[in-house]
Formats: sequence, structure tokens, C-alpha cells
Amino acid sequence: MPDQTPRTTVDRVDEVGVHLSAGEDLVVDVLFDGRRIWSFWTVRDTRLDGGVLLAEWPSMLKRFLKGTTRLSVVEHVTGAVAYDAEVRLGDRDERIAVVDATGRPLSIDKSNRISTMFDTRDEEHVKPLLDSTEQVLAALHDAGVEAFPAYGTLLGAIREQNFIGHDNDVDLGYVSRHTHPLDVIRESFRLQRALREQGYAVDRYSAAAFKVDVVEADGGVRGLDVFGGYFLDGRLYLMGEIGTPFQEDWIFPLGTCTLAGRTLPAPARPEKLLEATYGPGWKVPDPAFHFETPRTTYRRLNGWFRGGRAMRNEWDRRFSMLREKLPTGKPSALAHYVAEQEPDLARLVDVGAGRAVDALWFARQGVPTLGLDFAWGAANAVRRTVDAEGVPLELGWMSLNEPRSVMAWGARVARFEERPVLMANHLLDAVDQLGVESFVRFARMSLSGGGRVYADFYALQAGEDRYVPQGRTDWIRPKRAEDVADALERSGADIVHSTQVEATTTRREFAVADRPVARLVGEWRK
Amino acid sequence: MAEVTSGGERRGFKDRAVERVARAVAGDRLDELQSRLEELSAEVQECRQLNIRLAEVTDLVEQLLLPMAAQDQEKIAAAVEKYTRTL
Repeated sequence: MPDQTPRTTVDRVDEVGVHLSAGEDLVVDVLFDGRRIWSFWTVRDTRLDGGVLLAEWPSMLKRFLKGTTRLSVVEHVTGAVAYDAEVRLGDRDERIAVVDATGRPLSIDKSNRISTMFDTRDEEHVKPLLDSTEQVLAALHDAGVEAFPAYGTLLGAIREQNFIGHDNDVDLGYVSRHTHPLDVIRESFRLQRALREQGYAVDRYSAAAFKVDVVEADGGVRGLDVFGGYFLDGRLYLMGEIGTPFQEDWIFPLGTCTLAGRTLPAPARPEKLLEATYGPGWKVPDPAFHFETPRTTYRRLNGWFRGGRAMRNEWDRRFSMLREKLPTGKPSALAHYVAEQEPDLARLVDVGAGRAVDALWFARQGVPTLGLDFAWGAANAVRRTVDAEGVPLELGWMSLNEPRSVMAWGARVARFEERPVLMANHLLDAVDQLGVESFVRFARMSLSGGGRVYADFYALQAGEDRYVPQGRTDWIRPKRAEDVADALERSGADIVHSTQVEATTTRREFAVADRPVARLVGEWRK
Repeated sequence: MAEVTSGGERRGFKDRAVERVARAVAGDRLDELQSRLEELSAEVQECRQLNIRLAEVTDLVEQLLLPMAAQDQEKIAAAVEKYTRTL
């Protein structure tokens, strides 16, 4: 229907964005040389600027906007063309190419992130994704829940029997047979264990949702999101957006749907779930869809299931460019100090091991070493080295926000035959108070047979009530040395050494000028 | 574009009008009620958050209790090892 009269009038397009007037709030696509790059709602996603509405370029797109392109603004539902002209942005002459390093076409998704979308992937790329989807559905089935495509994947299957062109991932959901959030969480833990036992990497988003990584035939890793849900008092709650009156027979017994030629399970009445997810307008495509989760649903899902990922995304992002490179940095001042103080070191546990620089250093000297961290990918390169070199280094996942991981590792370390030494280099200044308490619990459990814990951390200075972060990327949370010492003593440790040392770390993530570093050594005697 | 007014602005106006009326009726009690409401909301969240803590402990105990009860050191070691490996 391209001959339709558009309800949107585009005034001009420049380096700032698209300047327009809107007859009504419509979703429009922005095309570069005929390919959809971005979609937005003409009123919801704009602001008044110079008497007209302005849709600013998403920040992720800005770095590409230098050159020329045939730019079109097209109303998504009717196809009416509101703007179609050759434009030049910046002072370059070449065609604008919104592509990644390998030349794959990118566009902006509904969360304003930039990625490859289904509409630019051919069959040979979609097949492995379908295989992975079936594989994870089968694994979840074997683990005891009846999962089905959910969110955008279900929407595509029901509306188009295919992936939605402007979508970029696969979402799966299941509805628990349990009726209490506590049991739903336990079931989710159990599913994680079963999937890990089957060899999948699992990254937990919340106590009821996680990502399953599938290694595909070409060696690439693809993450499929799995969202748990349950019925409570006639309402269906499904992570991470749904809380709505719902009948159980709209889910069970599961029926089927078709996705790109494959038959997959689906809720008994998929249209009911889609209406609960996207509203009654779910049949009308909306590439700029935003969830408007009611506050009460958001608060319930938060209260029951969320909160365990504090600072995870930040640290994962910080390490994302480095994790496949073997670290070349020198061991920390604390690692050297531990080595000096413990000439008969038989076993080392590095808590908050990060990229595992220190852990690898100890292990290469023949000290059996355990490195624990919640940023699992950070030590990817070291993990490969361990396999290749055969050094006595184990790297495990532990989060001070997940007590079960802290207690389980505490129990395991306590059973080591050799007496372990614990170290934590700039861990205690990277966590909140709960993190400190968790660390102390881990130390007490691990060293219940006796042993020492060494910690370096940025300290609050005398007379300083609290630390004011120096900008958004400053995650340092200095602690008062006496408070940490008190917490260790309350747990039965003696403080055998407490001093202030020079900040010698050269690690970018910990670089703080003029901030004293506290060094504490606590000891549990047998 | 004037045909479409943002919902946010309308709500803002309505909220302010409601508050004026409520303040005329309830006086200082309104601040007290607002602050009590905030406290109660926070307390409800605290209770909800217990689910995760309790589920974590229950999960761990459940996985380790049987081997412990059997007093089989090998089984205990295997259970602890499996728990940490599958986190």
C-alpha cells in the first residue's frame, strides 16, 4: 500500500535526527538505501524542538552516520512513505554502511541496542538457531518443565509462522506447576543444575529466568533466554513482564505452533498469552514496541525474583573486550605479599579473581589454586591456558549475592586436604555491605579448620563518612578498615596484621588516585 | 501534533489536582499517610525478598542432606563438588 497518504510529515533529516510533524502517534521505519535501520513512534519517542517534533538518532547509531544514503521514512503498518530523499550526514562522500566488523548488516532493536536482525539473516543462519531452539526445548522437557516459544518468538510463530524480521533473539517460556514463588525459584535452580549437567553454560538473570548458551555447528555461541512463570490466585506471572488474570487451560495442555517450518510446542491458547504480553493490538506489527509493565507486576516480579545480579552487567561489560586475551599484567602487590608471608603455601583461594592474573601466577608456581568470581567470562583466556598447560588451577563461579554459591564453595574449600590461604584483592571495595558479610561467611566456612585471609581494599579515610563516586563508571566502594576488621573478628578471626599500603595496582578498573589501600590479614586458629 | 497529548502531562495535572483536594480534606495526615505508605511498600518488598534467600538455603540443604545423612564421605564430597560445578 505504498500509495497511501502518510499521516507523518518529515520536515528535514540532519545529524541530530529526524524532524517531523505527526498527525497521530504512529510507528515509522527509517530506511537507509532501502534497508530498515531504526523504528520509532512519532509522538512517544520524540520531543518538541523548534516548533516540530524531533526523533534523535539513537546513540548506538551515531558513529555510523557519516556519509550519504537514500533515506526513507515509512509508516510501518500502511507502508505510506513520509520521506524519501538522498541525504548527506557529516562531511564524507561514501555511502553510509551500518554493518559490524565482518560486514553483517546491523539495525537498532526495540531496546535501542544495535545488532543483526532476522530480516538480514538467510536460511543457512536461521537453521542452526532453530536447531538450538529445539535442543533447549528438549533439554527443558527432560528437566521436567513444559517450555514453549514466548514473547517475540511466539508472536512471530503465531502471526507470521516465522521469526519477526525486526527481532534478534529467541525467547522461551514455561509455566511452573508450583504455586509459591519459593518453589518456583527452587525449580529454577534445579533446571539450571540439570542443564549444567547436560553440558550447557547457564547465565542466571533472576531467580526465575536464565540464558542457556548453545554452541552451534560453526563454533559460535548463541544465548537463548528462558523465562519462568507460575499461577497465583488466578493470575499468570511470567518473567519478566507479565502479571495478568489468566486461565490455566489457556496454557495447559500445550498445543503446537509453526516457526520457520518447524513444529514447536505452544500454549493451548497462544493468542491469549500474546494479548497479555502485547495488548489487543498484537496482530499489528510494531518494531518499536515498549513494554508498559504495570507497577504492581514490576514490584512483584522484582520482590520475588530479582536483585541477585547487582553489578554483574557492569563487570561483564568491562571485561567483554579483554576476556579472550590472555592477561599480560603483573601479579598484584597482595599476591606478592601473600607469597612472601606464606612460604609453605599449600593451597590458595583467590576470591574475586577477575581475569585470574594472580591465580594463574600462583598456579604456575605449582600452588594448587582456586579462583572464584561472578564474572565468569573474564577468565576465558586463562581457562583455555589451564587446559593447555595443565597447571593446577580451578576456576569456579561464585557470587557474593547468591548465598547458596557462597555456602557450597565454603563447604568445599573447608574439605580441602591442604590448609588453604584466602586472598581478596580489591574485592571488598567492589561490593556493598551484603557482599562484605557474604565474604566473611565464606572465609569463616572455608577456614573452619584454621587458616589466614588476606585482603587489600580502598579504605575510607579518617573523617570521611562516605565515598562519592567519581562519575558513572566509578564502581569503587571504599570501606572503613575497622568495619571490615570488626566483621572478621565477630566471625571468630583474629586480626594479625592491619596496615595501610601504597596503591600499586595498575589495573585500569581499579585505578583511583590518592586513595589509601587498607591491608588486613585475619586468622582463624584451629 | 497537538491532537496527541502525552499521557504523562495529563496524569501530572490530575495528580496535582487530587493532591490539592486530599490536602484540603486530610491536612497534615496526608504526609503521615504518604510516608506510612512508603514504609509499607518497602516492608512488603522485604518480605517478598525472603523467598530467594529461603529457596537458596532449601536448595542447598536438600542437595546435601541425603549424602550427609548416609554419612558416606565419598558421597558427601561428590554432592558438594557437583553443587559447585553446576552453579
